[in-house]
Amino acid sequence: MLKRNALRRALTYLTVSCAVAAVSLVSPAQAQEKVLKVGYMKNVILEASVDMMDTWAKKNGVKLVRIPMAYSIFQEKVTATLTSGNDQFDVIWHNDDWGQLWAKWMATTDDVKGIDRVAKSPLDAFYREDGKLTVVPAAHTVGTFFYRTDLVKPEEVPTTWQEMVDIGQRLQKEGKVKWGYVGGMAMNSTWFSLWWTMWGNKCDIFMPLWERDNKKLAEAGWKPALTEPCTKEYVEFWWDAMNKWKISPESMTAYTRDEANAIFMAGDAAFTLIDSVHFGDFNNPKKSRIAGNVAMAPQPKGPRGEKPFAWNEIWGWGIPKGVPEDRQKLAKEMLGAMLNDIDGQVKMWNETGGPPPSLDAWARLEKESKDFAMLKHAVFDQNVGTHSAYYFPAWPAVHKAYSDTMIGALKGKREDIPKALEAGMDLIHKAANSGQ
Amino acid sequence: MATDHRSAAGTPGHAAPGGPSAKSAGLASGWWKLDEKTRFSLLLLAPSGIMLILFQIVPILIGANASFRDWSLYDPQRTWVGLQHYLYILTDPNFLYLVLPNTLLLMFCSVSIGLCLGLALAHLLNRHFIGHALVQTVILLPLMVAPVIASMMMRWIFNDQFGVVAAVMDALGFGSIAWLSNRWPSFAIIVFADVWLWTPWFTILLLAGLRSLPKEPYEAAAIDAASKWRVFTHVTLPMMRPIMAVCIVIRSIDCFRTFDQVWVITGGGPARQTEVFSIYAYTEAFVYLNFARGTAAAIVGAVIIGALGWALYKTLNRFMEVSR
Amino acid sequence: MSAATDTGYTPPRKGSFLDALAPGGKRAFLFLCVLGVLLLFAFPVFWLVLTSLRPAWGVYYVHRGLEFTLSNYAEVLEQGVVVNAFINSFVIATLSTFFSLAVTVTSGYMLSRFTGKLANAWFGTIYIFRTIPYITWVLPLYFVTQWWGIFDTYLGLLLPHIAVHICFFSWLMKGFFDGIDPSMESAALIDGCTRWGAFVRVALPSALPGIAALSILCWLWTWNEFLFALILTSHNTPMITVVMAQFVSELGTEWNLMSATAVMAMVPALIVAIFGQKYVVRGLKV
Repeated sequence: MLKRNALRRALTYLTVSCAVAAVSLVSPAQAQEKVLKVGYMKNVILEASVDMMDTWAKKNGVKLVRIPMAYSIFQEKVTATLTSGNDQFDVIWHNDDWGQLWAKWMATTDDVKGIDRVAKSPLDAFYREDGKLTVVPAAHTVGTFFYRTDLVKPEEVPTTWQEMVDIGQRLQKEGKVKWGYVGGMAMNSTWFSLWWTMWGNKCDIFMPLWERDNKKLAEAGWKPALTEPCTKEYVEFWWDAMNKWKISPESMTAYTRDEANAIFMAGDAAFTLIDSVHFGDFNNPKKSRIAGNVAMAPQPKGPRGEKPFAWNEIWGWGIPKGVPEDRQKLAKEMLGAMLNDIDGQVKMWNETGGPPPSLDAWARLEKESKDFAMLKHAVFDQNVGTHSAYYFPAWPAVHKAYSDTMIGALKGKREDIPKALEAGMDLIHKAANSGQ
Repeated sequence: MATDHRSAAGTPGHAAPGGPSAKSAGLASGWWKLDEKTRFSLLLLAPSGIMLILFQIVPILIGANASFRDWSLYDPQRTWVGLQHYLYILTDPNFLYLVLPNTLLLMFCSVSIGLCLGLALAHLLNRHFIGHALVQTVILLPLMVAPVIASMMMRWIFNDQFGVVAAVMDALGFGSIAWLSNRWPSFAIIVFADVWLWTPWFTILLLAGLRSLPKEPYEAAAIDAASKWRVFTHVTLPMMRPIMAVCIVIRSIDCFRTFDQVWVITGGGPARQTEVFSIYAYTEAFVYLNFARGTAAAIVGAVIIGALGWALYKTLNRFMEVSR
Repeated sequence: MSAATDTGYTPPRKGSFLDALAPGGKRAFLFLCVLGVLLLFAFPVFWLVLTSLRPAWGVYYVHRGLEFTLSNYAEVLEQGVVVNAFINSFVIATLSTFFSLAVTVTSGYMLSRFTGKLANAWFGTIYIFRTIPYITWVLPLYFVTQWWGIFDTYLGLLLPHIAVHICFFSWLMKGFFDGIDPSMESAALIDGCTRWGAFVRVALPSALPGIAALSILCWLWTWNEFLFALILTSHNTPMITVVMAQFVSELGTEWNLMSATAVMAMVPALIVAIFGQKYVVRGLKV
């Protein structure tokens, strides 16, 4: 008896769900002629950028299809789509991390209107071998030093590591804050502790320092700079910060930006360094307990630094080569419209804190927005001496090997640091050659 | 029913030459000539066989093919390189002396703890008591949360600054432990997360097994006035043998390739100290974008766990038979 | 039910540390153990629910402060895609459960009742393909679904989900049928029943507890499945887990929204589990 009941019930379910499935299979049939599909990571800044495209699309009778994707799978999925020649996307979110990996598969953007009115050096990651550009900038991503205005007066903001330690310790002693500095350090958050101090101490990952020309780096044999004194200095700085001065929590080696931001936004740290776009969140009373008390400043310098270091990279949009000619043209028109939509870009900055791509928007914002002026002083006016990554296929492997070496060194004894760095030389050199 | 009609479609002539299966009959070259029993068994497995071939075996063969070639994700050349990737993995000291031991340790801890807890809870649920439904629902709770979300929850709970565990320990005066930045504490958290996620699985399957056991042996044991523990070891365990062996082996295989929990909780860190096999393969394939080497690593792992699991299955069967 | 017999007699007590406790003490001790385990099971989920009720500034330091709000839920529900995703996930989970069980119950039965080369070959196949990690084949699967034109459709998600369950379920079904005495089916065959009739009328009903347990597991799994959903779908078939994954971006995790979505996703799972439990219990009374 029961069996028959169960069967009947299951069959009813089946019929109903099949009907639902059939309806949903049929419905996406599209009748409209001009369609552009944009694939991107779901994020407010990129949404704001797509909004500008949508404004153009509506005016020109084009249907814009948004395809938001999870970041965890974005690069893999889009890479697979590109190499299989599939034209699933007409425009895709582009990032300096994979600028070189995709260069070969992307159409040139040199002929997009307004591409001459953007900052030049952030584009370095996106040139094809034939010298053609493959990106249209959407927003700048820059690491920015943040401090608490309720704890530190603007004139007291540390300009050197030593000052940062002193002020941090003082605030901790006064019981005003639990930690001096908190920043991400685990893999993929390396920039927010180890690397800003590395560049701030005139140091780098490979020799020659601050070189980004792959030919010259190859000539030098992709030699890591781990045994240079500048590396030892900054690693010892972090060891001391966590274990001796205790301005940073001991388990910071395992923190990603999520943990660091959570601690900073809860009011438990005086300083942090993270992408500038978090400025909005930090000052949003709904998200942060320190809203209204956060400001940006140039990065503190290491003992070897002369001028505060800064980096300036971009997120952008690219057009896959596999997209048919007519749709490529349409996509370029759309991206050009985005790049020249100064009002839209100003709105993007005001609503999301994403630094706009066009220099014309910068000029206007510098006058209109105090926050933008502050960001410009903290980052764009400082020593943008080199890129915050290397642009070659083995970069992810190098990043991983470097991160493992450093965290290994920081978890060991202080006197063992030189040994750990020495051991990392070979590891990172091998990683650099793994892609070739 | 659905099965009937599908299998009718799935019985092309080429299935017949594969009919050495006609062991008992011995005469076979065409479908109609197969004995009735073989035909029936072919019909029974045809639907799942077809699905398996189309959506698992074909993709796996494509992947396996890639492992013998120069196949980076961003620029696949597809040139044949033979066993190069396999040699790389089998000579990588990190794989042999760090990743494999970590993986086996995780497998051992997670499966043994999960099995014991699962068996205990299944016994508990096999009784009548007040609040049975509530307890059963609570035990099933971990199955209702997506594993990735649960793992993130674990990561936050064990954070040394804002995690509730640190807060409780602080309040009790123990001071906080830097859980996730040291090898063994973070390893313990991974095991905890894995046990938490999978004990319900053990419980529900073992409970189903317990419930389909016949009553007679228990009645006999009651007449003999055997102690509860004796009934458990001499009646329940031997009868549960088939389902337990299956559970242990399947769980071991799955645990060997655990990914989500480790990736979210430690990412294999600190400095690769908690790296397990699937993280190794994933990193090769999708972080270094060397798809060929990643799949080669995955296949090496599959061979290892395949052999291990088989040995385990045979041993478990024999061991249980002896204990009966 | 065996439970009745299990508790129906009082065994003579042998020395055990539990006996050192007072008569009521043993019960209390066991009760505490069970309570402890249950708390351990419930705590992370409880904490997740609590997190989802905290304002955005309080989702990490959940224990600091007592402010609670429903705004996270409101914010998530404002995104139209969530409702769609719930429907999609529900349909896929249900269909996948039904078909996975339908195709594996027969192959599991075959594995259990037949010996010989065919059965061995089939068992060998499912064993070998069970050991191969997803890393090898999710990406090829992405291409395969595109070749066949079923990428980003229900079918393109449903069929791989059925396939992925075959190895494991066939094997477990074999375990369930192994525990059932085959003599009843032989008797049915002698009485003139067909093999199919013996399977459906005799073997299948006895295996119901196992099948019911598996159906709950299968539904919950598919509901919570991440990887296939991430790779095999795009904007046409949003799934609930994909919507959740999108709260993690390169710039960090929107944990407040993510936890709220996760809690909402637990509700259908909870309903299915409770409904399924009743069904399991009822299945036993046959």
